[in-house]
Amino acid sequence: MASTRQQLDKLLGAVAKGDESAFAELYQATSSKLFSVALRILRNREVAEEVVQEAFFKVWERAGDFKPEIASPITWMAAIVRNRALDEARRRVVRPFADATELEDIESEDEHPLVAMELREDVERLLRCMDGLEPEKKEIVRLAYLQGMSRDALAKRFDRPEGTIKTWLHRSLAQLKGCLEQ
Amino acid sequence: MTELDDIDALAAEFVLGTLSREERLAVTERREREPKLEAAIAAWERRLGPMIETVAPVAPPPHLYNKIRAQIGLSSHVISLKAREQQLTRRGNRWRNAFVGVSAMAAAAVGVLGYRDYVNQQLPTQFVAVLQTSAGADQPAFLLTVDTKTHNCVITAVKAPKKVDKSYEVWMIHEQLKAPKSLGVVAEGDMSVMPMAPGPDMDMFMNASFAVSMEPEGGSPTGSPTGPVLFTGKLVQATP
Repeated sequence: MASTRQQLDKLLGAVAKGDESAFAELYQATSSKLFSVALRILRNREVAEEVVQEAFFKVWERAGDFKPEIASPITWMAAIVRNRALDEARRRVVRPFADATELEDIESEDEHPLVAMELREDVERLLRCMDGLEPEKKEIVRLAYLQGMSRDALAKRFDRPEGTIKTWLHRSLAQLKGCLEQ
Repeated sequence: MTELDDIDALAAEFVLGTLSREERLAVTERREREPKLEAAIAAWERRLGPMIETVAPVAPPPHLYNKIRAQIGLSSHVISLKAREQQLTRRGNRWRNAFVGVSAMAAAAVGVLGYRDYVNQQLPTQFVAVLQTSAGADQPAFLLTVDTKTHNCVITAVKAPKKVDKSYEVWMIHEQLKAPKSLGVVAEGDMSVMPMAPGPDMDMFMNASFAVSMEPEGGSPTGSPTGPVLFTGKLVQATP
């Protein structure tokens, strides 16, 4: 919804001017989502904390670079967190989640209303387009984006050559792009 | 069906998260100088970003925000120190004059190197000692900054809860000194700037330990620490 997107835009604008209370509000509104994003990729609380800390520091320093016409505030911030998390995940051996219960354990918080509302329409569109992919390919895209699985890891998980995974990924992404641009 | 060109496919996989470490490093470097790749990455971040909506939020531990705040507090502090330094420079302090020649050389180099290189070369070499306990967020904290290019030492009370009839005094401790040397009393918001001449005294300063003690209001009556020493620290290099 436009008003909440505008609220986050406004907070980032104030943060760019060095407003500490706006920064606190922005942290309140987005940190649980961003911590969850980092945690899923890194599966290590300490490292996820470090990544989120660095990301918020970067948000504080670079809020002036945020361009509302190019990205929404939450996707801009999520991109910062994901980039750091993925770089970190590639540097170390990431332990797979022991089983599904561990994932459920960490899914406990309620969504902050600002974030939930900002994304609602875009989410519906993306999920509709993802539903257009074959189930296995949809799962691959999800695992890659949310858990940061590399082509190599996906090849092992789905017992296919890496080249096949790459072809699938490119086709799936092209299909998504086409669908989203409709 | 839509096909992705090479740039778009690379950007898509970079954002999706499937690239290897080497491939990620290559893209991170290339995006800086390839606007087309940068734009493609931004477009994919916009397309796939809403997927984070499908994960349930997880609250980070409560202490994380304090850590971030501390990091930011420190950073904005360095900015305010820089502003203060510029102020001092404008006043034309004597300690600065010795370096006029160096500055002139640096200025002459601007045309050749470009502004960014110039700024990088101008980065001061700063050393920082953070004097703080790990006990709690509302404990006092002092920041001691030495800039070896401008030969300026700045002591600041980042946080110093006011105590009735008490003052915080900063001391320098070194084996070549018979007793701790007072660097003065510092209250919250105070910024004490000491120009330092290069030489043996400065060398000693760089290798010294620093301590903060609680003293009667106005500072130690004897010239040596009389109250409890709250914390100590040494300088560490803050810039390469």
